[in-house]
Amino acid sequence: MTRRIPDSARNDFNNLLLENASDGCYNERVDEKLRRSGGEGMEHTAEAAMIRRGHLKIFFGYAVGSGKTHAMLAAAQTARQKNVDVIAGIVEVHSGTEDEALFSALERLPMRVCGQDGRREFDPDAALRRRPQLILVDDLAHRNAPGCRNSMRYQDVEELLKAGVDVYTTVDVQNIESLNDTVASITGRVVSERIPDFVFDQADQVELVDIEPSELIERMSVGGAVDGEALSGLYTPDKLTALRELALRRCADRANRIVGARMRQRSEYRADEHILVCLSSAPSNAKIIRTAARMAGAFHSSFTALYVETPGFAAMADEDRARLRANIRLAQQLGASIETVCGDDVPYQIAEFARLSGVSRIVLGRSAAASNRLFRKPTLTDRLIATAPNIDIHIIPDGAPSRPYRPPRAPADRRGFSAADTLKSAAILLAATAISVAFYNLGFSDANIIMVYILGVLITAIAATHRIYSIVSAAASVIIFNYIFTEPRFTLQAFDRGYPVTFAIMFLAAYITGTLAIRLKNIARQSAQAAYRTKILFDTDQLLNRADSREEIVTALAGQLIKLLNRDVVVYLSEGSGLSEPVLFPSDAPADAGQILSDGERTVAQWAAKNNKHAGATTDTFADARCLYLAIRINNRVYGVVGIEARNRPLDSFEHSVLLSMLGEGALALENEKNAREKEEAAILAKNEQLRANLLRTISHDLRTPLTSISGNASNLISNSASFDESTKRQLYSDIYDDAMWLINLVENLLAVTRIEDGRMSLRRSAELLDEIIAEALQHIDRRSVEHEIEAHSSDEYILVRVDAKLIVQVIINIVDNAIKYTAKGSRIVITSEKDGAWARVRIADDGEGIPEEAREKVFDMFYTGANRVADSRRSLGLGLSLCKSIITAHGGAICAKENSPHGAVFEFTLPAEEVQLHE
Amino acid sequence: MNKPLILVIEDDKPVRTLITTTLKAHDYRFLEANNAETAILETTSHNPDILLLDLGLPDMDGVEIIRRVRTWSNVPIIVISARSEDADKIEALDAGADDYLTKPFSVDELLARLRVTQRRLSMMNRDGAAQSEFINGRLRVDYAAGCAYLGDAELHLTPIEYKLLCLLSQNVGKVLTHTFITQKIWGNSWENNIASLRVFMATLRKKLESEPGSPQYIQTHVGVGYRMLRIE
Repeated sequence: MTRRIPDSARNDFNNLLLENASDGCYNERVDEKLRRSGGEGMEHTAEAAMIRRGHLKIFFGYAVGSGKTHAMLAAAQTARQKNVDVIAGIVEVHSGTEDEALFSALERLPMRVCGQDGRREFDPDAALRRRPQLILVDDLAHRNAPGCRNSMRYQDVEELLKAGVDVYTTVDVQNIESLNDTVASITGRVVSERIPDFVFDQADQVELVDIEPSELIERMSVGGAVDGEALSGLYTPDKLTALRELALRRCADRANRIVGARMRQRSEYRADEHILVCLSSAPSNAKIIRTAARMAGAFHSSFTALYVETPGFAAMADEDRARLRANIRLAQQLGASIETVCGDDVPYQIAEFARLSGVSRIVLGRSAAASNRLFRKPTLTDRLIATAPNIDIHIIPDGAPSRPYRPPRAPADRRGFSAADTLKSAAILLAATAISVAFYNLGFSDANIIMVYILGVLITAIAATHRIYSIVSAAASVIIFNYIFTEPRFTLQAFDRGYPVTFAIMFLAAYITGTLAIRLKNIARQSAQAAYRTKILFDTDQLLNRADSREEIVTALAGQLIKLLNRDVVVYLSEGSGLSEPVLFPSDAPADAGQILSDGERTVAQWAAKNNKHAGATTDTFADARCLYLAIRINNRVYGVVGIEARNRPLDSFEHSVLLSMLGEGALALENEKNAREKEEAAILAKNEQLRANLLRTISHDLRTPLTSISGNASNLISNSASFDESTKRQLYSDIYDDAMWLINLVENLLAVTRIEDGRMSLRRSAELLDEIIAEALQHIDRRSVEHEIEAHSSDEYILVRVDAKLIVQVIINIVDNAIKYTAKGSRIVITSEKDGAWARVRIADDGEGIPEEAREKVFDMFYTGANRVADSRRSLGLGLSLCKSIITAHGGAICAKENSPHGAVFEFTLPAEEVQLHE
Repeated sequence: MNKPLILVIEDDKPVRTLITTTLKAHDYRFLEANNAETAILETTSHNPDILLLDLGLPDMDGVEIIRRVRTWSNVPIIVISARSEDADKIEALDAGADDYLTKPFSVDELLARLRVTQRRLSMMNRDGAAQSEFINGRLRVDYAAGCAYLGDAELHLTPIEYKLLCLLSQNVGKVLTHTFITQKIWGNSWENNIASLRVFMATLRKKLESEPGSPQYIQTHVGVGYRMLRIE
């Protein structure tokens, strides 16, 4: 027999009665929706979007001394007059100026002392504690002293904005990342303190503080803000005009970008342009990236930075790695999405990637293009043009690099040597020689001997890790062949004129076979790595798909991460507005768990979740943390934070890219899980709503009838008592009593329903004697039962059942009442009980008309009421039997309606029987 | 016999009126209290014979009143509870209440409970503390001899059954909770003992009652416990 009331429905009633609870739940969901629809800004977290984000106003100037700080202080003054709570976070003013007066009127935030040299820096935490409406933070591009939480001041400001604090700040044109090269070409100085372009572009307001260059020069010479000595070269009218133009253009450009972004948002229009820049560890690469970013900005196109990981990557020097990481970070800051592909053939990989991602322009540096060496494969640019003829290729000059940058090869070569490989090569050569000697003695031709040596070189190429072995052994083979087997033997001379050709061909053949073998090996290794990556991602996907709960998803994800990285992994899940307790997944070589789970580490994780950025070891933020923290996120929704033990051991780019893919998968799984949960909740809510409506309608309708009868009869008795004769009065009294009893019974059932439908409340089971329960139930049967004949036949043995007695009593009452209701007066109702193995069976049979076959299943449905076949049958809510079914099912038993012979209905239900050991 | 003085402690006026009207109609003397403070005051000053106590009072939990009253008085307490949860009744009974009524109750039920308590009262007064024999209808328990008789015939009881019978007879008219009984008989109230209790009670009844379907001596309170009824 199937159970008709599913688990979800069980909670329905509970939720009906706990209206508030479900309303609360609803509100939360609405909030979540609002959160999702709002805040499309970059790097928002879900919770930050709930607080108003602070406004960032930038006072933008083209040179030091243009009066940005003054403009900022004046604006602050105006705000203060409008009763805005303004404080000065950090403002640099020179004594004796007008600025100082303005500054001294403001409340000042205490600064913190950072690092060993005691530099005083802006203190974002103090600002967050003070929580003003508006704060002044001079020089956005400032680099913080080591030891501060954030390496750059704009990161401090970002935190303030997230907390809803408005910020006024100043920026010079030379501090804008993408203009760095241009400014350097004008001024001849490279500025190291720079802000990423998005910070500038996403500011809510940029006020250009403009001044005529001539006026500026005058102001400078009078001895204003800057000491003239360092800048004297800068303050020439030409340079200032150029800088001014640059600043004006950048402002106009920003306005264009904003309009463009709005238009794109509105029309869903995406520019066809897609610009690709290739990343490398070359120092000149940064300039190329910046140029590409500017182009991407100008074309309003999507922007991708690609790194092709070649086999040489593993052998890359630390210095180069660091530079590569810096370049990758730069590209990220400039808004590029970073992609990594693996392959030996760089141009092919670039072309393939470009083709697949619809890249329209590729930006390259000239160094990659320039090559005049003989016997080199065609240049990267040539080959790129050959493989991707439809793509525009832009070649950017490197400026004048002091030394031509060459990808690191030499150290890699040295690293290829090993004693084992040398021994192996020598042994192979020796074996080849031995076989050749044997062949020679057997009188085989030279061709056979040459073949043996070529085979030897091939084997060397496979066995040894570096190609130098195959070259050396190819050369050695030729020499040995010459020495031992050519006439005159045991000299390095050869008489035959054909021998030099033989030697050359032999060397070439050996060399080419060896090189091919090595390339084959490398490709095999790369594809193995790619396959490994694919496999690990696939496995992750499978495991995550299989995981049902948050915990399972996290465990699967962490397991896969450990498999990939073999480092300790710690996971924090988002919970409300904060993070849950961390769960540590130790690797094979676990580090100190106490250190990883310390409060300091937790703070870093919280920061990463809140700011939706990487933090901790190997990053700019909290660089002295033990672990690297990455948010598990989709766009701006953070589902948790993963910490990976990474102190002194940065992740390589392969690991990093797989890691990001895995975190993406994890976030997707968490989101799916959350969506499924929400959908289920919504469905339950809707169902509750439906059920509540049904119940209220039915109850209010059905309550009205007995209440009308009670109140009407009572009022009659109060006012017309004298005019009624005794028998009429008795009838009225008894009607009132009956209707009140009906209401009482209804309330009992409703109470039982709330108990049973509430999934959380466990049944209060104990061992009960079935006979006692039946006897108890019969005492409560409707008193009209006097008109029916009710018998209870108990078996001789004592049947103990493990039940909640109150509820089972209710079941019997309901079934017997039902029988009374639907059978004519004088009908016989028989209750029998028996034991059947591990179950006790109770049958309640009547000899009425029975239940039509098609209705037998439906009688247990909520609100099902049979057609009133008996003239005076009572009204019914259709609650009683459905409740019986819920109760019996909750006990693990089953209930069904059957046909009685010769006529009538039988309700039969089972209950778990209890064996008892008597304690004498 | 003098009708006893009953203190009705109930904050809901209609229900209080229902009870007092019923009591008046049956010539009981009664006092009223609509909160715990008055109730305790009336109990100390008038020394009523029976307390009818509603558990849901505005100023104090009813169970707390029972505990306080029990510190100085053995007056029979009948608890009236709108809560249909057995746990409340059991708590009240374990705190020292003698009997309980669940709202909604019928007037007949109320009167029956009062009669039961009254008989218990009269027996307590008549017999005093130390008895060697208990007589209830046809049932006679000779504590000294350790024998029980139904009419003239001796009942053949197992030791546990006899212990049960003694416990029930010594608390005649009072509802004994399962926990109380198992504690007294086995010294603990393990789940298994409650199952055993059911069986022993059934066998005891079979020997005691002529008609086990409608018991005369031992009443079952499903989910709560058992009580021996005083037979007139």
